[in-house]
Amino acid sequence: MTDFAAWAREATDPARAPGKPEALPGVRVVEYAPGHPGGMVAASVLAEFGAEVVKVEPPGGDPARGYAPEGIVVAGTGLPFLAEARNRRFVTLSVERPEGRDIFRRLAGVSDVVVTTEPERAMEAAGIGYLALRGAVPGIVYLSLSTYGAFGPDAARPVRDADVLCQALSGVPYVTGDPEGEGPDPETEVPTKTGNWHGWFAQGLWGACGVLAALNFRAETGRGQFVDVSGAEALMKFVDYNITWMHTAGRERQRTGVYDPAVFPYTYIRCKDGHTFIAAYNDDAFESLAHIIGRPGLAQDPRFRTGPDRTKAENEKALHAILEEWSTARTADTILREIEDYTSKKSGPGAAVVTGRVNRPLETLAEENWRLRGCFTRVAAPPYGELLLAAPPWKMSGTPPRVKSACRPPGADNEAVYSGLLGLAPPELASLSDRRVI
Amino acid sequence: MNRFEEFAREAFDLATIPGKPEALKGVRVLELATRIYGPATADYLGELGAEVIKVEMPGKGDLMRYVAPEGFFWQDVSPAFLPQNRNKLHVGIDLHPAEGKELFIRLAEKSDVVVENLRAGTMDAWGIGYRTLRERNPRLVYAANSGFGQWGPYAAGRASYDATAQAVSGMSAITGFPGRAPVRVGLWIGDFTGSLFSAIAILAALYARRTTGEGQMIDLAQAEVLIRALDWTWLYADRTGRDRERAGNRDVAFPPSGIYRCADGFVAVSARDGAEREALERVLGGSAASDAVAAFAAARTRDEVVRASEEAGFSAAPVAGGRDQYHSRHLRARGTVWELSDPLYGRIDEFGPVPKLSESPGRIKWTAKPVGYHNEQVLGGLLGLSGEELAALERKKVVGKWADVRGARPPGREDDAPAGAAGPAPPGGGPREKNP
Repeated sequence: MTDFAAWAREATDPARAPGKPEALPGVRVVEYAPGHPGGMVAASVLAEFGAEVVKVEPPGGDPARGYAPEGIVVAGTGLPFLAEARNRRFVTLSVERPEGRDIFRRLAGVSDVVVTTEPERAMEAAGIGYLALRGAVPGIVYLSLSTYGAFGPDAARPVRDADVLCQALSGVPYVTGDPEGEGPDPETEVPTKTGNWHGWFAQGLWGACGVLAALNFRAETGRGQFVDVSGAEALMKFVDYNITWMHTAGRERQRTGVYDPAVFPYTYIRCKDGHTFIAAYNDDAFESLAHIIGRPGLAQDPRFRTGPDRTKAENEKALHAILEEWSTARTADTILREIEDYTSKKSGPGAAVVTGRVNRPLETLAEENWRLRGCFTRVAAPPYGELLLAAPPWKMSGTPPRVKSACRPPGADNEAVYSGLLGLAPPELASLSDRRVI
Repeated sequence: MNRFEEFAREAFDLATIPGKPEALKGVRVLELATRIYGPATADYLGELGAEVIKVEMPGKGDLMRYVAPEGFFWQDVSPAFLPQNRNKLHVGIDLHPAEGKELFIRLAEKSDVVVENLRAGTMDAWGIGYRTLRERNPRLVYAANSGFGQWGPYAAGRASYDATAQAVSGMSAITGFPGRAPVRVGLWIGDFTGSLFSAIAILAALYARRTTGEGQMIDLAQAEVLIRALDWTWLYADRTGRDRERAGNRDVAFPPSGIYRCADGFVAVSARDGAEREALERVLGGSAASDAVAAFAAARTRDEVVRASEEAGFSAAPVAGGRDQYHSRHLRARGTVWELSDPLYGRIDEFGPVPKLSESPGRIKWTAKPVGYHNEQVLGGLLGLSGEELAALERKKVVGKWADVRGARPPGREDDAPAGAAGPAPPGGGPREKNP
């Protein structure tokens, strides 16, 4: 380990986070995102940085607790909710009831941020929308997450926001997957969505980003504001040069499968034990790769000499086939070793031959690197048992983020929040509970 | 129109943006980064009002300048370079000689944030790493973006691109169809997602600095970013001992939600809760199985499926591409497709800011510029170098501007092929002549 790496580990190892200060102490967030993992992501990010998050669930529990791929449920809650429900206090509240709305307004009144995923029209009708809350709490930062956004010609479209809707509109599936006639099976030669909820993640992350910018502005000016994030736009932002290419060339990006319109090779190739990624797209790196695979002449082959040569469709196909002749006789680890043996003696662009095994999740979990860097954490969470969670990815020297707690049952923190924070007396609580407001 | 709609019409009117304050005004970001995962971090902060100084090698600059889709350049700049390099001041400094390093350190002294994405430890080896910079500026927030982190077994020299992160994280293994090859998402999703995570941590660190008075280092590995984004994958693996299977275009948490083929393209159909599933069943006249949805969609256009969903009470949205987005009235009204008048290039439409802030909105002020375009403004104006000092540094090649090659140089050369300086000629009716 270099001196710097040793220093960096000492300074940023997540194992040393307990005891260090947090970035957002004293920032209180009310999360009202029933049935909505994207809203949970936004609140989780703020909570990981130290904000105090109160998650408001409808009595009986958040509909998102019922999301259960393959029907797997742990003590009444599905895996997606368990994975994202961290660092929160869990309260129940019916905003259908006037008393519930009053309590919601009181909660917002002692908070800095509201995160919501209900349509603003519905929030306004319930008297807990932005305009109502900012009247009572002038500095409130109010985050609204939706499919299309809170204004604009399509804002009124009556959709229940969902990851697949955000993905569809984002343009990500449009450029992902095999083109027609290029794959092994017409059924799979279609626009392809990401397996994870990347639409909801992008939406929640951009939401957190907007909130942090707004908190910065509030610290300077004392003013709160409305932060509007469309999940479709959140993911759309990642689609490379979609808009500039349309504007400058009138060209639209298409699906190219294992090929790439701008850089090649930059692709997955089959190997003995699955698939691996390989990139060597600048001229020097490609020459290195040609040596590594034992065919140094390829770098002078007129089909592959320059970037523009290599990115011609027919040449990409030919090169992909040549690379697989080599890779299918090797494991992903052998390929990594052979490449690193060669590139460790190089510097500059010629060293830019890059590879990495296409890991199945269990393979990722088995790699020592992630364990050592604290990427996963196990948290005891009765009654759900011990939960394996993906930790916040940032390693920070001063105010590191951290996972402090995991999922709790609906209403587990009712007393702490309603008595401790809002000062409701026990008889009031009991009465609200009897009337199913909480 | 209800009260909120009335509020929103005024609060989010694009025409009011130039007169409003910026959320990150007064924050200066120094970028030493190439490609996406670094430049996009600085770009996201720049959209929200930070001043970004992008340091490039004199001559050719950021190698992303030469990543051009199908080799296409517009006014001598690649459309793939623009999206993550707006609102920046471009400075050409060679960091190899000691005088170049000293200039960089002096810029860092006057900055709040440094963003870099060199291989782990490179900056430190060059004597301009965090440990040096914090001595000169303890308030500095230093974001080190990399593939595998600044420490740990994979940190030692292992290079990474976006798709490395897609591969090693497990994202590709759960994307694509059962029984078929894992699928790489067809865009630099690890770079852009990582860039956003990085910007978020920088904002959190800037917020913390208000209390602590100190900056800090942020080590962010893009593979670890994607690991964080894989929702229930890890709990599932841990509890079942099995790998999450690829499920193609179905969202297995909400059957039969997914992407379906229809008569003129593809459409997403979604039923998130019981009410939506019942609505879908009513329309299908029976059980809402995937096959029934597929048959329903196949017989209709995208618009017809969306209309049917709105009438019945489930949800649907078209699978859109760049052309749909470019011509979307909705996206233009929101400034998501941002109609920019750039002083050097003229009209150029870009992706605008994602979070729409009512009081301190983000904005695009100008697009990317040639290498070293703002040398005088930054090195003269900010650092106070005299004309003679600057000239001497140029002679020694410590400071410089663009090489005379496409991608690096300004527009307007006679031998430019297609668009030239005449300006863009967008298809399909052309853009509206309104600028935010």
